[in-house]
Amino acid sequence: MRETTPISPGEFAKFQEFFYRKTGLLFTEAKRYFVDRRLAERMQATGSASFRDYFTLLRFQASGTELQALVNLMTVNETYFYREQYQFKCLVDSMLDEVARTKKPGRPIRIWSVPCATGEEPYTLAIHLLEHWAQVDAFEIEILASDIDTAALDAARAGIYAARAVQYVPMTVRRRYFTELGDDRWQIIPELRRSIEFTRVNLHDRAEVARNGRFDVIFCRNLLIYFDEHSRRQAAESFFDVLYPGGFIGLGHSESMSRISSLFNVRRFPDAIVYQKPR
Amino acid sequence: MLIVDDAATVRLYYRQVLETAGFAVEEAVNGMEALEKALSRPFDLLVVDVNMPRMDGYTLLRKVREAPDLRAVPAVMISTEAQAGDARRAYEAGANLYLVKPVRPEVLALDVRLMTGVPPGECPK
Repeated sequence: MRETTPISPGEFAKFQEFFYRKTGLLFTEAKRYFVDRRLAERMQATGSASFRDYFTLLRFQASGTELQALVNLMTVNETYFYREQYQFKCLVDSMLDEVARTKKPGRPIRIWSVPCATGEEPYTLAIHLLEHWAQVDAFEIEILASDIDTAALDAARAGIYAARAVQYVPMTVRRRYFTELGDDRWQIIPELRRSIEFTRVNLHDRAEVARNGRFDVIFCRNLLIYFDEHSRRQAAESFFDVLYPGGFIGLGHSESMSRISSLFNVRRFPDAIVYQKPR
Repeated sequence: MLIVDDAATVRLYYRQVLETAGFAVEEAVNGMEALEKALSRPFDLLVVDVNMPRMDGYTLLRKVREAPDLRAVPAVMISTEAQAGDARRAYEAGANLYLVKPVRPEVLALDVRLMTGVPPGECPK
């Protein structure tokens, strides 16, 4: 890789402010190594002679494709099927029965997985509904899966995973919802892939969030830890706006809505603690 | 057999239940698509939802019973409507069996075996 001029503290501060404003993701000095490596990679790919040139491209390119390419590189997509499974158990054993009591049979129940990364979470959600929720055919289930990273979304739509990602999926279940491709790779069956809608969403943009309609359940796990306090609160308010009254939101195991916003009620179900928009 | 339902998750759920029971399954997303498929090749059973865009389940069943080649194909209608009048309407349209959602997987598998004449303990062809 060609040697590039180091990014000065002033340039880094400008970049940090710009990237935060566009995405809500705050990369502090502590993440300099991570950020510098990715910026150097994109500068090389775009043939930018200096950080200044690259930053100009990033800010003023009309199509925004370079910003998207950088976003794709800066987001972390490491996850696997059945991660923190107790939350999915809570969904099918507690949350959905409560949601269903307020709906007429045949009506839609809308679930949002955000960020969905490469699809492991929304597919796990769908599999749990199909395998474990006794009322699954009595409602029209719509699962929307969103991420800011368009490359991750493409991978999610393709639904091809390494054996490591599916290691916690029981073999009987795996045989029902995956096709074995060989080389230790598994692909989600087309019917399951088609049942989930994948869309790009920037949680920092409230209008963009609102365009996806309203939801009964939202899973937003292990994202808010990357946001600063202001962005976290803003995201919580966006979620509040798009949830139906009585709707639920599940966060990652190390995250607590109570520390972010007082808008939601805490619900302690046998399998997990989730947050509920008051009725 | 042909599963006809506009909800992708419902089609997938019935598909899993029926494939696990040993049946080969195809799907249609509304009555119109189902009618085209049923007229183009033989199915040994139709599993039909009620409310669908373009052509609902009642209309589909009536058209199936009017078509000489399809008149004898068994059909189960599965609906969210649990009133007695809804079942009567389904039977009048041409259903052989009326089930109310949610349908337990073992109930669906057993009913489908009975309707297609698969004896207990045997695998479907």
